[in-house]
Amino acid sequence: MIANPYQPLNATIIEVIDESPTIKSFVIEPEQPFTFDTGQFIELTLPGRGEAPFTPSSSPALTERMEVTIMKAGHVTGLLHECNPGQAVGIRGPLGHGYPVDAFVGKEVYIIGGGVGLAPIRSLLLTLIDRIGEFHRVVCRFGARTPEDFIYKPALFGPWQKINGLEITCTVDQANGQWSGPVGVVTEIVKPDDVDVNEAVAVVCGPPVMMKYVTLRLVEHGFAPERIYLSMEKNMSCGIGKCGHCMIGRYYACKDGPVFTFAQIRKYPNIWD
Amino acid sequence: METVFISRFELLLDALAQEMEVYAPRCGAESSTFVRYDPKAPDGVAFNPARLCTPAKEFLFPLRERAAAFPHPLEPEAARPFAVMGLKDCDLKALRILDCVFLEDDEFRDPFYAARREAMFIVSSDCTEPTDSCCCVLFGGQVFPESGFDLNLSRIRDGYLVQPGSPKGAMFLSRYLDRFAGVPSAALTERQHERQKTTEQIERLNAAYRLDRKVDEIVQAGQDVPLFDEMAAECVECQACTRICPTCHCFYLFDTLDTDIFARMKMWDSCVRRDFARVAGGANPRQILGDRTRHRLLHKFVYFLERHGLYMCVGCGRCIDACAGGLDLRELLTQLNRERVSKGQG
Ligand SMILES: Cc1cc2nc3c(=O)[nH]c(=O)nc-3n(C[C@H](O)[C@H](O)[C@H](O)COP(=O)(O)OP(=O)(O)OC[C@H]3O[C@@H](n4cnc5c(N)ncnc54)[C@H](O)[C@@H]3O)c2cc1C
Ligand code: SF4
Ligand code: FES
Repeated sequence: MIANPYQPLNATIIEVIDESPTIKSFVIEPEQPFTFDTGQFIELTLPGRGEAPFTPSSSPALTERMEVTIMKAGHVTGLLHECNPGQAVGIRGPLGHGYPVDAFVGKEVYIIGGGVGLAPIRSLLLTLIDRIGEFHRVVCRFGARTPEDFIYKPALFGPWQKINGLEITCTVDQANGQWSGPVGVVTEIVKPDDVDVNEAVAVVCGPPVMMKYVTLRLVEHGFAPERIYLSMEKNMSCGIGKCGHCMIGRYYACKDGPVFTFAQIRKYPNIWD
Repeated sequence: METVFISRFELLLDALAQEMEVYAPRCGAESSTFVRYDPKAPDGVAFNPARLCTPAKEFLFPLRERAAAFPHPLEPEAARPFAVMGLKDCDLKALRILDCVFLEDDEFRDPFYAARREAMFIVSSDCTEPTDSCCCVLFGGQVFPESGFDLNLSRIRDGYLVQPGSPKGAMFLSRYLDRFAGVPSAALTERQHERQKTTEQIERLNAAYRLDRKVDEIVQAGQDVPLFDEMAAECVECQACTRICPTCHCFYLFDTLDTDIFARMKMWDSCVRRDFARVAGGANPRQILGDRTRHRLLHKFVYFLERHGLYMCVGCGRCIDACAGGLDLRELLTQLNRERVSKGQG
């Protein structure tokens, strides 16, 4: 057991990558190798300034360094966006439970994401890509406000499009000159015959409203709530199931989640807010 | 070591004070709390007839404490031994609840809580005069402790019976044999009689609040009734109920810059606070006060029970005394119970 679970491990930001006008990725090198399962999260500390939860967006296979993709959303994320390589930070984790990848073997994996929700999804995708032959198909539906707002553009519109067994469709709310793909919110490209709803598993990650409507759409299409995996963003502080901030009914999103099936949490009030 | 007899309360206090810091009850007309006991200036310290106004959680989970530091990590240290006197059965049950959260977790243990818990010597006592808001009996509590203490005192006519409840307590007694006497004849019967008398008293106090179903069933079934919103209309959001509660344990970690080192403070928080569950971007699952009052009771009586097999409420009634809006948990539950019956779910 960790001696002090509130104490972060020292780490350094070694690279900052601009992803979109409001999102940056930070490559972080921890003092000691750091392992995690895809979908687990960390608490990232900017010493003396605050802490916030993020899901590493890099492959769990890399333990020497890790990437987190951060949208500027408030106090801590705003300060992080001002950081340069060399900045000392702290990480706590890995925390919570991630995606049950082994349970996806042999199945169609249907991944729907939007905005910065692609961060956890990238880590999952990198894991799936490493073992792509083990899954029936991996089908992705991603959305962003405008084409510029997509994160991981180089991979998303480059090598990932060419992987056998991986099919990605992207949509934008507002197109611009170069965009030739679909226009509209992501729910509009979630179609009943995208996958076999009786067999496939769905993974949903994105802004709360998007998650809500996508989940309802999936249920409408006949997806069993037990096969819809949601990555829940809740207010978190301790990350270890004690402080009470992240509760969804009887669950602590930090300890029992952040990945839940819709079946686990659907009965509780206001899960989407 | 068996139960022994002591003629005066101070004899035990002084023995404890020889070995450790002692916190003992002091009851005033308006309020009561634990004070640091100084044998040279006992200062109104005396046996308390019921639980004190302040909860014992502060000894283990202080209002604010340092939980981490940077760049040099904060290593949890052992705490100095201390004794707390005057805990009642409800207080002991509250510690049991906090233990579930902070200690008995197979993944994460709170090292600061653990160190203090280890160092704490608990002297509890039988209740002799419940307060007007005491309602432990509604939640499976009782007026005398049977476990969870190092020593327990029972007041009898000429002094106190001191019962050891742990190896630590028994060893302590064996070190001060000269201060204690054997149990006088009929003293155990007298204790039995006193306990019976106080039990009848607390039963009478709560007769009007008896529920005809288990509390969790009542709260669960009452989730959808507007009562929580009506309750919210009286609530002034002062958060006193959660702070004075011996079992509430919400906190937040707050980082501050202290010249060139940073300190991470762990501070009490409250689920009644509006932004408690708000996330960046503004979404807030419990923006509405009624949802927060509902969540508080669901956590106490449904979610905690599901996770740990216990209610996260011991019926000490402190929230009833503290509420600036005049809300009363007993009345609320009775009303929920009634609504349930009237909805034909009885
Ligand atoms: C499991 C999980 C994974 C997530 N993954 C990602 C991700 O990969 N990428 C991403 O962009 N977002 C992610 N988020 C969302 C992200 O955590 C929030 O955007 C972030 O917490 C916003 O923090 P903020 O301080 O910028 O916002 P604000 O709205 O300013 O939030 C204030 C919060 O910041 C914290 N805080 C403020 N000041 C202090 C202080 N002095 N000390 C300590 N804490 C302080 C408090 O917790 C407070 O609740 C994730 C959230 C969760 C729950
Ligand atoms: S609530 Fe019960 S155990 Fe607690 S002080 Fe009152 S009578 Fe005693
Ligand atoms: S973040 Fe503290 S309990 Fe989940």
